[in-house]
Amino acid sequence: MRSRIIASLATLAVAGLALTGCSSGGGDSDASDSGPVTLSFWSWAPGTKQIVDTWNKSHPDIQVKYTDAGGGNDSSAKLLTASRAGNAPDLSAVEYTTLPAMIVADVPLDITRYVKDVKKNYTKGTWDQTTFDGHVYAVPQDVGPMAFPYRWDKLKEYNIPVPTTWEDFDKAGVAIHNADPKVSLASLPADQFGFYGGVATQAGGSWWSIKDGKWTVGIADEASLKVADFFEKMSKDGAITTEPLLTPEWNKQVNDGTMLSWPSALWAPGVIQGVAPETDGKWELGPLPQWTAGDTAVAYQGGSGVIVTKDSKHPKQAAEFAKWYNASEEGATLLLNVGNVYPAAISGQEAAKSSKPPALMPQQTDYYSVAAKIASNTIPVTWGPDFNVAQTTFTDALNKAIQNGTPWRNAFIATQNAVVKDMKQSGYKVTNQ
Amino acid sequence: MSAIATRTGPRKKADRGKVLPTVVLLIGAIYCLIPVAWVFVASTKSRSQLFTTFTFTPGDGLVDNLRSLFTYGGGQFGLWALNSVIYAGLGAVLSTFVSTMAGYALAKYEFKGRSVIFYSILGGVLIPGITLAIPQYLLLSQVGLAGGYLSVLLPVIISPFGIYLSRVYAAAAIPSDTLEAARIDGANEWRIFRTISVPLMVPGMVTVFMLQFVGIWNNFLLPFVMLSDQNNYPLTVGLYTLLAKGSGSPALYSLAITGAAVSIIPLIILMLFLQRFWRLDLISGGLKG
Amino acid sequence: MPLVTSPESGATTSAVPRRSTPVRVRGRRHHVHLAPYLFVAPAVVLFVVFMLVPIVYAIWLSFQTYHLVGGGILGHREQVFAGFENYGSVLADPNLIAGFGRLGIYGLIAVPLNLGLALLFALLLDAPASRAKRFSRTAIFVPYAVPGVVAALLWGFMYLPGTSPFSYITQSLGWGDIPFLENPGIFGSLANIAIWGVVGFNMIIIYTSLRGIPSEMYEAARLDGANELQIALRVKIPLATPALVLTAIFSLIGTLQVYGEPTTLKPMTNVISQSWVPLMMIYRDAFLTDNLPSAAALSVVLALGTVVVSAIVLLLANRRNSGGVA
Repeated sequence: MRSRIIASLATLAVAGLALTGCSSGGGDSDASDSGPVTLSFWSWAPGTKQIVDTWNKSHPDIQVKYTDAGGGNDSSAKLLTASRAGNAPDLSAVEYTTLPAMIVADVPLDITRYVKDVKKNYTKGTWDQTTFDGHVYAVPQDVGPMAFPYRWDKLKEYNIPVPTTWEDFDKAGVAIHNADPKVSLASLPADQFGFYGGVATQAGGSWWSIKDGKWTVGIADEASLKVADFFEKMSKDGAITTEPLLTPEWNKQVNDGTMLSWPSALWAPGVIQGVAPETDGKWELGPLPQWTAGDTAVAYQGGSGVIVTKDSKHPKQAAEFAKWYNASEEGATLLLNVGNVYPAAISGQEAAKSSKPPALMPQQTDYYSVAAKIASNTIPVTWGPDFNVAQTTFTDALNKAIQNGTPWRNAFIATQNAVVKDMKQSGYKVTNQ
Repeated sequence: MSAIATRTGPRKKADRGKVLPTVVLLIGAIYCLIPVAWVFVASTKSRSQLFTTFTFTPGDGLVDNLRSLFTYGGGQFGLWALNSVIYAGLGAVLSTFVSTMAGYALAKYEFKGRSVIFYSILGGVLIPGITLAIPQYLLLSQVGLAGGYLSVLLPVIISPFGIYLSRVYAAAAIPSDTLEAARIDGANEWRIFRTISVPLMVPGMVTVFMLQFVGIWNNFLLPFVMLSDQNNYPLTVGLYTLLAKGSGSPALYSLAITGAAVSIIPLIILMLFLQRFWRLDLISGGLKG
Repeated sequence: MPLVTSPESGATTSAVPRRSTPVRVRGRRHHVHLAPYLFVAPAVVLFVVFMLVPIVYAIWLSFQTYHLVGGGILGHREQVFAGFENYGSVLADPNLIAGFGRLGIYGLIAVPLNLGLALLFALLLDAPASRAKRFSRTAIFVPYAVPGVVAALLWGFMYLPGTSPFSYITQSLGWGDIPFLENPGIFGSLANIAIWGVVGFNMIIIYTSLRGIPSEMYEAARLDGANELQIALRVKIPLATPALVLTAIFSLIGTLQVYGEPTTLKPMTNVISQSWVPLMMIYRDAFLTDNLPSAAALSVVLALGTVVVSAIVLLLANRRNSGGVA
């Protein structure tokens, strides 16, 4: 009977609506600002849920629902897609590198007026990471001053002093490789765009800069090309390898003691501990090697902030949570102890000084003093609006150069050309020819 | 075989002939089973044993791994498994329903637009999933369904391949005379469908159900695009997120491997169980001259 | 069912039932007319909503592009009409040609091996001399139950030198690691994952097709003195051609749309770039560089390419069928 078909379809529709009601979560909030409000928050750092629970306990009128949206790359892809559909969560963690691209895609809200009061909780360099054209788009969460965790026991075994300059690093790498070809000092593959940007900045390069409303792309400026040549030399000497990181292969090497360091940033010990817990006590953290002996400045690698999206119906409450989470002493201390990140807020960094060292180096009791010293002299990095284009082009070009044995500097030049072309095509004012 | 040769020559040849096919089949079987065996062995290794011991040496971390797996994120793995069952089970049922009706109509009725409909739907097979995923996402967002269960269920109900199979099977299994006779008897079309056609189409329906179930269970891209709340993920996306944490946190290889091992088991059981009901010859049936 | 004519329709049990049928049919035609449309309605509605509309939207998008407005150093983007600009830049991209080239190499390995192995296993299953058929058939079919993401992960561990049992063997023999994840081994490694996943499914398709061959065909050949191998080559394979053609087409479509395996292996090796195959380029444009119109244009190009290739294969198959000995 036709009516039976209609009846079954109707049942389906009702069931469907019921299911929708059950499962559609975040973003649903009251229209009135005065009643209790639920905010949705996307992040990926482990331990976030605990910190969110702490807030929820003391703020019954502003409840936050946390969602793990996947790692940094996946999160930002999802955020873009959701924003296109008008579906973005109220709050999200966004890496500093992708923040400009997000701003161009109209994802974050301009929260300058909401967060004016916490500007003093941060150093200028940190605050600048999330400010463009005088507008603030995110509250800085954590920072990644570049640093150098290494296997002190293995370096001692091979009788190699801890390198303090990149020249020393090269010598150390070669020495280790000669002593035992199966052992590597470090792996610095082509997909570590953030790392290479950081050491180039440390050398005086400036991959993106802004002056008088115009962009200048410097991925292949003189300092960066010198960096390219130097790391190419290290790779050809055998001082470093270029295999991908955090793969089962790399993890095995870290466990085996055949991968002896990871030049990166302050967040690295937590990651290493996660893949090689049996190597606890064998690591130590030192300052990143310098280009000139005696320098202490380093750049940032990684780190993220929290944005309030344009789709949020409660921007004021969302900004309040963002401020507590990142800028308040309570929030920053929780980020340090529970989130295992190095907080961007000064109060968090102060609290760090009296904390126990990370599980990876329990014997290094002055860990956080070392960290504080490193963090006190940082060079901020400016990222361009087409970071993703730059990253994929750089990775592919450098990988090809490594495989074909062609000069690395050509990859840097090719990347700069592609980035300049892309920015001009998009309509930016670029000073490069 | 009949005549047994008593000479040694032919018997040797016959023996070799007997062994070779079996050996080749067994090699194929082992090839197909190696990674599966590996994942079961690897799930017994603890986090540090995973990268330090020989591949096929069992470890002692199975219980710990299972415990970590089921308590991860407050029991998310269990949720993921449940979601996979819902998406695949409900999706396959609905898809079979829709495909059977459509295949039946396309096979047993002459009506205007029949070819257009059939070939258009079949053309859907040629479109890559990625291309459809984003517009589908934007569409469902407009009606507020994105991110919910329906956003993963609805797009998978339409299955060009299922309709193709149903059509082939309906054409082969349902004699038109029987339908005519029933019409003359005064039965209406729905009744005919329900009481005559559906029972005849059951093996075909089981095949379509099975193929859709496996297809939806193993689907990754659609739920990945549609869903953002981890609690709604099916197993494929959930396991992927254990691995793709980015360079800020280590990939949870142990958990992912244990999760993979656990999630393969039900599907293998289901397939073994439903094996005898299949009619996979349907698939090439449509092309037979 | 007895042919009983019902009184209401006014027909009689006359000696000429045919003449009374048109009357009944005219009365019934109303129901018969509407029924097929109702049956296909759900499928058509779902097809239009979830396939047609998205495709049309994607095509529309492929003619748009983004333009910067708002001044300042960042500004934001607006969508404007762009004509064939996207198609121009997509087709002129050297990466695209390279991507198709890689697909060609991958396909040359994957499609014949897929077909060949599936056919081989199916023939062996059908051969009377084989033992352990139930076990082999089930075992070879097991990979079908494993999702692509999981399969790539498992094989990744099998390939990486540090965790690979195969490299372990060659290392112990003093031969070093097997270069699964280097050029050119990567093509074989990726093809292997795909083949491993579907050979069982294809085997079953061909096998059930073989089982449908009436045994009289064999008896005649056996009486003539043909051995199993000759029977396989002369009788079985030609009769299983429809199944083989279908498997070939699926293999080809799968090759053109390969995405999951290279993406999952990408983090483990340096030789797979983000634009290694066309579908990865689409993903990059759609999700990473936020350039949806370009992704849409590339999708249209890829879909058209798939249609062309499938049509060619079908034409060749039909010509063989009608021209050759069926």
